Amino acid sequence: MTDARRVVVTGVGVLSPLGASAIESFQNAVGGRSAIRRLDAPWAARLEEPVGAPTACEPREAGPPSRLRMMDRSVRLGLDAVLQALTDARFDPTGADPARCGAFVGTALGGAGTTDEGYEAVYGQRSDRVRPHSVLAAMNHALAAWIGIDHAFAGPNLTFSTACSSAAVAIGEAARRIRGGDADVMLAGGAEAPLVFGVMRAWEALRAVARMDALDPSRSCRPFARDRSGLVLGEGAAFVLLEELGHARARGAPLRVELAGYGLANDRVHITRPSAEGQAAAMRAALADAGLEAREIGYVNAHGTATTQNDPVETEAIKRVFGADARRLPVSSTKAVHGHLLGAGGALEFVLSILALEQGVIPPTMHLEEPDPACDLDYVPGRARDGVSIEAVMSNAFAFGGSNATLIARRLVARRS
Amino acid sequence: MSTSLSLLQDILMREHALPRERVVPEAELAALGVDSLGLMELVFQVEERFGIRIREDPPTDLRTVGDVARYVDGLIDARPVAGVSPPAERGGSRPAP
Repeated sequence: MTDARRVVVTGVGVLSPLGASAIESFQNAVGGRSAIRRLDAPWAARLEEPVGAPTACEPREAGPPSRLRMMDRSVRLGLDAVLQALTDARFDPTGADPARCGAFVGTALGGAGTTDEGYEAVYGQRSDRVRPHSVLAAMNHALAAWIGIDHAFAGPNLTFSTACSSAAVAIGEAARRIRGGDADVMLAGGAEAPLVFGVMRAWEALRAVARMDALDPSRSCRPFARDRSGLVLGEGAAFVLLEELGHARARGAPLRVELAGYGLANDRVHITRPSAEGQAAAMRAALADAGLEAREIGYVNAHGTATTQNDPVETEAIKRVFGADARRLPVSSTKAVHGHLLGAGGALEFVLSILALEQGVIPPTMHLEEPDPACDLDYVPGRARDGVSIEAVMSNAFAFGGSNATLIARRLVARRS
Repeated sequence: MSTSLSLLQDILMREHALPRERVVPEAELAALGVDSLGLMELVFQVEERFGIRIREDPPTDLRTVGDVARYVDGLIDARPVAGVSPPAERGGSRPAP
């Protein structure tokens, strides 16, 4: 960062397929314990590939049925992660100016489950009975609104929807609001709950989803592997509490890492096919924003979807950015074990990257036995790498529509002149 | 005895996590945390249970649980067929002609 106001992460919260907290999710990512499994809901029998990554537990209740009825599952997942992030940051809203506290949320599909349920009633059951709160639960910015209501965050409150980079965009844009002086505290992250029939069938129709591994469904997502066959949808939420450094210091907050860089670039090429140049442009922009050289990045959490298209293109993009250093750079895709959380993925993977930085442990890319010849980087296959000294980490989140976002976190150090 | 009162009380207790002793006929909806959105859900569940359709917005002067019960009872009594129909099937159905 080159301007005076610096942004630090003071809290993280996760409810993911890998765990009910950030640390549990990280430990399972490090252990390579896949949360991807065969789905046993009755409707899943109608899928060609009934495989997904449900959350490790249900979202913790946040009120009576009259309140929960207004919330899509994605909102309940999100509010769980939000509460964790605030607790982790030891944030006391009574000590903050509400107008200086905001919430930016990323979600690709918003209340898709609620919409799916409504369609099932009116088209499937041919009923005219639609629940009265359907609009409130389905609206895409509901989670951001509830954060404002629940936590008295009266500042900037926005929802970003750039498909699979939504949460990374929300986090990056939130950091910019703090840097720009519009806010001192921002809750930022994403939530997604796509494991419903209509959504999953639509992804199947796009032929982007992995074939279920018949012998071991948990191995269905194989980023960078020769035998990869696509992504596996997952659900969950992840949030970070971002604060202006001086604000965080003044209240004695835990100073975890600095959100040092954020880069955005659009492929401007194709609605689905990714572009190495577009992805590289996002990474370069994030590096420039952070004032870091590529060689200072010690780990890249790749977008790594395990689709035919993404993995070689991202590999090429990393080579363009890191040059000769690309060969020694640890790059992994944790999607192999938590699936693709779509609009929440960028937040989950950013949090996992933060923990990798803090703990000096790089989570592996699982189920990568034979790489695609076009994927020839160090993907940390099969086993985590620990005892690694990392100065800064990069997290990539790329999306349909060519909406590429990259976040960089670094250890909090005195600013270089 | 009101036809709908005990059903309304059950719905309110469940939806708003309220103890029975608070959900008395004279209890004010606002005091129970039932706002206009809560009233809509209440109406929806009443419709499901009694197989009736409430096409008009509820009157704005419904202040208490008892007010709502009297209002719903009036709608039930006004149906072409007397009495209470069985709970609606999933997806709901119109009242019997």
